[in-house]
Amino acid sequence: MLSSTHILHPARARFARLVPYLLVAPPVAIMGLLIVYPAVLSIFDTFTATTADGVRRLTLEHYITFFRLEDALPNLWFTLRITVLTVALLFGVCFPIAYYLRFSSSRLSVPIRFLALFPMFVPGIVTAFALIRFLGDNGWIENILFTLTGWEGWVSPIAKPQGIVIGLVWEGVPVTVLVLGAGLAQVPDHLIESARDVGANGREVFFRIIFPLIRRSVLIVLTLNFLGVFGAFTIPLLLGGASPQMYGHYMANRLYGIGQYTHAQTAAVIMFVISAVVGTLYVRSVVNERIGKGH
Amino acid sequence: MWGAFRRNTVRSFAVMLRQRWFGISMLLLLAAFILGPMLNVLIWAFTEARIQPPRLVPEQWSLKWWGETFARLDVAGGFTTSLGISTLVTLIAALICLPASYAFARMEFRGKTPLLLSFLMVNAFPRFGIYITIAVVFFRLGLVGTVPGVVLIQLVNTLLFMIWIPTAAFQGVDRSLEEAALDAGASRLRVFVQITLPMVLPALSASLLLTFVGTFYETQGALLIGIPNVTTLPVVMITLINHHIRQLGAVLSVALWVPSLVLLIFAQRVLRGGTLAAGFGL
Repeated sequence: MLSSTHILHPARARFARLVPYLLVAPPVAIMGLLIVYPAVLSIFDTFTATTADGVRRLTLEHYITFFRLEDALPNLWFTLRITVLTVALLFGVCFPIAYYLRFSSSRLSVPIRFLALFPMFVPGIVTAFALIRFLGDNGWIENILFTLTGWEGWVSPIAKPQGIVIGLVWEGVPVTVLVLGAGLAQVPDHLIESARDVGANGREVFFRIIFPLIRRSVLIVLTLNFLGVFGAFTIPLLLGGASPQMYGHYMANRLYGIGQYTHAQTAAVIMFVISAVVGTLYVRSVVNERIGKGH
Repeated sequence: MWGAFRRNTVRSFAVMLRQRWFGISMLLLLAAFILGPMLNVLIWAFTEARIQPPRLVPEQWSLKWWGETFARLDVAGGFTTSLGISTLVTLIAALICLPASYAFARMEFRGKTPLLLSFLMVNAFPRFGIYITIAVVFFRLGLVGTVPGVVLIQLVNTLLFMIWIPTAAFQGVDRSLEEAALDAGASRLRVFVQITLPMVLPALSASLLLTFVGTFYETQGALLIGIPNVTTLPVVMITLINHHIRQLGAVLSVALWVPSLVLLIFAQRVLRGGTLAAGFGL
């Protein structure tokens, strides 16, 4: 902010106009170099190839080769199925929690809120170890069931698709409850009360008043969870089986196990294309949310 | 029919929520699902010999494995590496992000809003897809297996939180207080140090702490880029996950989890204030 009492020298004024740009340049540059440039490079690398005469030409051959790999498409379908299932489960589990926390005046909401946010403070790697020891073969659940009831039929979900879903749901609860809670917090009590006063029933209150107000939060949480699960690595690596693999796990294998950079890049670009729609929806709903709140 | 079904479900849902048993069973289910695995790890960390069914708790409690775990060279080395890298990442992130967030909050310039929103890009793509494309670049630059490589990839994670949370904090400062101090003859620097800074300090320290702890726990980037020379503690933990001595993994899990316990206690206030939600774009 310039003080009006003294007039700046023109050179200083020009510098003052540059200051904000100088301040924001470093993080913007980091983002350009570490996110935009590598992504653009991968798109370039996978859509071109050097032909016999030494010229780089546009081609789809990398994609054709990639989809001919016997595990590329099955793993992609597997990843998408797991992603949709996990996102749906997270919403189904967390919406009642967030709803309860918003509208219940019970003292139970304090421990419930604490438990729902707890996984946010547990590193993914500890989550993986804890779930293996808890649910896996010779784990605590199996032990408890056997000790208390003598039942030996426990089937471990670890190293199976179920393990991935359980682990990702465990990790995803806090953010889902937090974002849905932020949405529900914007629903004013008096609006619901006045709707009730004019004779609206529970269904009308929910669909006509609550739902329109939280629609953006719901969209944010669905898209954020989709991107998070789709791009997960640690949990699928440690709790999933060897085959089929989630795409994060699969890309890392292509990169290191087989040393096929282009295959890994191709997989990453396919991932970007699939998530472009979801990512756009996410960014749009966040931007709308902020504009709606007057930021 | 669908209408009737929906009407009934919604009504019974609302009624159900008001029941006491609903809250209690939700609490119990959450406790079993969330705390059960953690409690089990805690028990393992203090167990002398393997727990043999039909027993639920160890025959002999002991601290023996704590010594054994931290005497391991990979654990000690991983701890030093993680501490160093997390400190470095937090410092660099603070150095480049805090001045930028001040500019975003307090200065007017063209392109401000799009630039601020562009940091959402980090969240708008599947994280590991971004990491793979970075890894390919780092391979060509020879950054794989080096500390600078790991620092750079972990920096990606910190940008959004380190920009958005402080920006929201700086925006929240009451300008009239600053102007009053200026009118009373205080210098700009003094106003910043004595008025502005104390008001944003809780949010700033929260974002620094989140960055440090988040980086300390970051596994996928460190694993992908650190291989084979730079081994952070979470990467060491991966090798211990299926170790036949389960106590090793359990002890390290408890040890790894302690910093976040501190954060949890500290963050109670921050969480309620909605500061954390700012980091997710709310």
